Amino acid sequence: MKNSIFHAVRGLREHTYLAVVGTGVIAAALVLLGGYAMIVTNLGAVVSGWKRDVHVSAYFVPGQSPEAQEAARAELALRPEVELVELVTSAEAQVWMLERVPEVQPIVEELGEGALPASLEVSLRAAYTSPVALDAFAESLREGGHFAEIDYGREWVERSSAFLHTLTILGVALGGMLVLAALFLVGNTINLVVYARRDELEILRLVGASDGYILAPFLVEGALQGLVGGGAALSLLYGVHALVVARLLGGVPLALGEGGLAFLSPVAAVGLAALGVSIGVAAAGFSVRRFLSRLA
Amino acid sequence: MIRLYHIVKSYGDRDALRDVSLHVEKGELVYVTGPSGAGKSTMLKLLYGAERPTSGRMLIAGVDVAKMSRGQLPALRRNLGVVFQDFKLLPHRSVAENVGIALEVIGAAPDSIRRRVPAVLNIVGLKGREDDKAGVLSGGEKQRVAIARAIVTDPAILLADEPTGNLDGAMAVEVMEILQAINLRGTTVVVATHDVGLMDRFPYRRLRFVDGRILGGGAQAGGRR
Ligand SMILES: Nc1ncnc2c1ncn2[C@@H]1O[C@H](COP(=O)(O)OP(=O)(O)OP(=O)(O)O)[C@@H](O)[C@H]1O
Ligand SMILES: [Mg+2]
Repeated sequence: MKNSIFHAVRGLREHTYLAVVGTGVIAAALVLLGGYAMIVTNLGAVVSGWKRDVHVSAYFVPGQSPEAQEAARAELALRPEVELVELVTSAEAQVWMLERVPEVQPIVEELGEGALPASLEVSLRAAYTSPVALDAFAESLREGGHFAEIDYGREWVERSSAFLHTLTILGVALGGMLVLAALFLVGNTINLVVYARRDELEILRLVGASDGYILAPFLVEGALQGLVGGGAALSLLYGVHALVVARLLGGVPLALGEGGLAFLSPVAAVGLAALGVSIGVAAAGFSVRRFLSRLA
Repeated sequence: MIRLYHIVKSYGDRDALRDVSLHVEKGELVYVTGPSGAGKSTMLKLLYGAERPTSGRMLIAGVDVAKMSRGQLPALRRNLGVVFQDFKLLPHRSVAENVGIALEVIGAAPDSIRRRVPAVLNIVGLKGREDDKAGVLSGGEKQRVAIARAIVTDPAILLADEPTGNLDGAMAVEVMEILQAINLRGTTVVVATHDVGLMDRFPYRRLRFVDGRILGGGAQAGGRR
């Protein structure tokens, strides 16, 4: 192991230029990936902020007594999905309507008392605002028989969820291609190093070195490159993040979660660095093994 | 020490070796000789595992190496030194590093490497040249470094493919004297060469190859003549 590290460091020093290129490629890929992940995470925070406001209006069947309406409200208030529920009586609804659209006054008067149905206005907890949960909640309200109509911005919720979902899938697909491209490019820099050192590797094989003995320093080199590339990428992302936050503080406060514009979570940051190390190690493994397989 | 039975080596439809059987005894020095293309290098490549025979049986120090896997090769090569016409040294590394590499690979401690490298350089007449870069040495000196690398692990067998091919007369004699000295210390030595003058000056048993066949029976008991 000590030997492998010594050889790895010597290898990096003898081929500094290629080592720097490989490290730079890893860093660039990680900056793109990490930046994208950061954007999607923050968008996710925004969308879940919207979702927190998901609102359901349940309109009572005409002719229910105020007591029955209040009982329905109290019952709903106890359900785990519900953050807040308010009863809007027929009269209140009428006031509300006339305030906003005075033109309908003649019609409302013609219809008389109870022209507009009473309703329960429900705010849901964020955990229950997925399209599926919303549908289930609406269905349970319908089953009670109290309500003539259940109204909620289902389409809109679905769209924002779908958008986020698409962004995530796109991110995984682009990220996968990015990782493959990085593997290919880093692999090629290692191919060049292997080619430059082919005499040495041939001699090592000749004097009885196992494939593992030859491979080990290259794997250590790849891991070091990945680690340095990962560190560089995280530093850069952190710097850009700090800059953007500083700018935003004076300007428009975006509708972000309480945390403001979030940096990558610790887990994501460690994951990004680990991905860099994996790219370095895998690229070294592929390139050197391919060379060794042609060596007697 | 080396026993070959009906060895055939084909490259496509060209037979480099045809039905070669031979014995080399422990402690022997033998020549593998014959015209260009006769199969001398192919013969040595089979012995150090760079090529596998197409058919036949091959024992080296009692081990059947004909069907050796890639993973088993390192063990064979640690007990077997090889020297080439073109030396195969790392020109930018020092003489000591070039020789020490064979010890590093077998996991020798730095201490023992520092002790054994000068000792073996002494045997090949390069005492005190440890720190010179291999690239600046003369041809004869390079070949002596290569021999030092091949014997520093005390292998049972030393194989040399045209070790004097790139050297002029005086240097060739020097190298041959070193190989002879190594043989006298008990190492089995196989030298591929077509230098008749050298073989006459250092007379040992000759395994004469022509067109992939061995002439006059390779199995006869040899020894020094
Ligand atoms: N890898 C290979 N592919 C195809 N043919 C080969 C290969 N290696 C050797 N040969 C053929 O095998 C035959 C023996 O070659 P080899 O190198 O053993 O000859 P040699 O006796 O060492 O000759 P020289 O004195 O020129 O070094 C030659 O005809 C050669 O062309
Ligand atoms: Mg030859």
